[in-house]
Amino acid sequence: MTPTPTAPDGLGTLAGKAFAAYRAGERERLSELVDLVTPVLWNAARSQGGAPATCEDAIQTAFLQLVDRADSINEPAAVLGWLVVVVKREVWRLARGARREFGVEEVPEAPAQQLDPEAQSILSERQRVLWKHVSTLSPRCQELLRVIAFADRPDYAAIAESLGMPVGSIGPTRGRCLQKLRTTLGTDPGWAV
Amino acid sequence: MTSHTDAIDARDIANLHHVRDLFGHADPVPSDLAERIKFAITVHALHAEVAELMDSALLTTRGADAKVEPTPTDSVTFTAASVSLMVSSGPADSDDTDDADDRVRVDGWVTTPGAQIEAVTTEGSSTVISDANGRFVLDDLPHGPVHFVVTDPGNADMRPVITPTIQI
Repeated sequence: MTPTPTAPDGLGTLAGKAFAAYRAGERERLSELVDLVTPVLWNAARSQGGAPATCEDAIQTAFLQLVDRADSINEPAAVLGWLVVVVKREVWRLARGARREFGVEEVPEAPAQQLDPEAQSILSERQRVLWKHVSTLSPRCQELLRVIAFADRPDYAAIAESLGMPVGSIGPTRGRCLQKLRTTLGTDPGWAV
Repeated sequence: MTSHTDAIDARDIANLHHVRDLFGHADPVPSDLAERIKFAITVHALHAEVAELMDSALLTTRGADAKVEPTPTDSVTFTAASVSLMVSSGPADSDDTDDADDRVRVDGWVTTPGAQIEAVTTEGSSTVISDANGRFVLDDLPHGPVHFVVTDPGNADMRPVITPTIQI
């Protein structure tokens, strides 16, 4: 499980350091944490199919919960995974109109990723090809690949776990989702160029 | 042939970079999301009251849909239940430094004499106490986003008041 020696600290490690420093009294380090992890959290939220405003609220709520519970979080180093779990749960809770509280284990699986027509119209030709292939993957693989793409290699396993994927889904081995993406892209002459 | 039990290699990393570019391009993070989260955290942590922007003729706040940097502020008033705050900005005193154009002086007035006014900018924060008439000056601030936090050291019951972010 050791990252390659040349690899710099992953996003999760940097986030963990910033959060640990915040807990130790360097309050301004929280801004650094927000800047570091917001792209991952945005994609984790949007990959659940929530509307943009819902996703923004979910991310904001997750951070406010983090601040409130900062001292009771057992593993500050795992703060990125903690935030991903809370964001995913919040998106579903908000999307359901807060009918009832439900636990992490009850969070439904993400739907297939959608891009609205306006977004699709601004893709480059190559991005269109990639999108076509990503769309053929299972919804779970689409969600996993979308979210880890915004993190670093040392973070993949922890993020997969916080998204509810089985241990060993990815990192340090490729796992089935990355393998499928590789295979489907590899068979497309339009991608290979 | 490759297998899912192989280690992640450079091709996989490249594929993930393409996935990142795809979603980053098609569904980008709202440009001011991180700033709005930080503001919400500050308000929450201070148990603060958010002051309302009253006079917005000459400035633009950082709204949710702002695609461009707002125009610079001239003079603006904020009001909360316990306090009102008026600020105006201009170039910093030119005799201090040669590059005074790069710095901003904020002249302000607050309804509470002896209030503590903290200006939070990209460089950190500067703090000043208002005089017996409620006046204060914050010189040498950087251009860019700023918000103010007003507290009353003489009145522990007063909730801190935080203003929306403006551009100076």
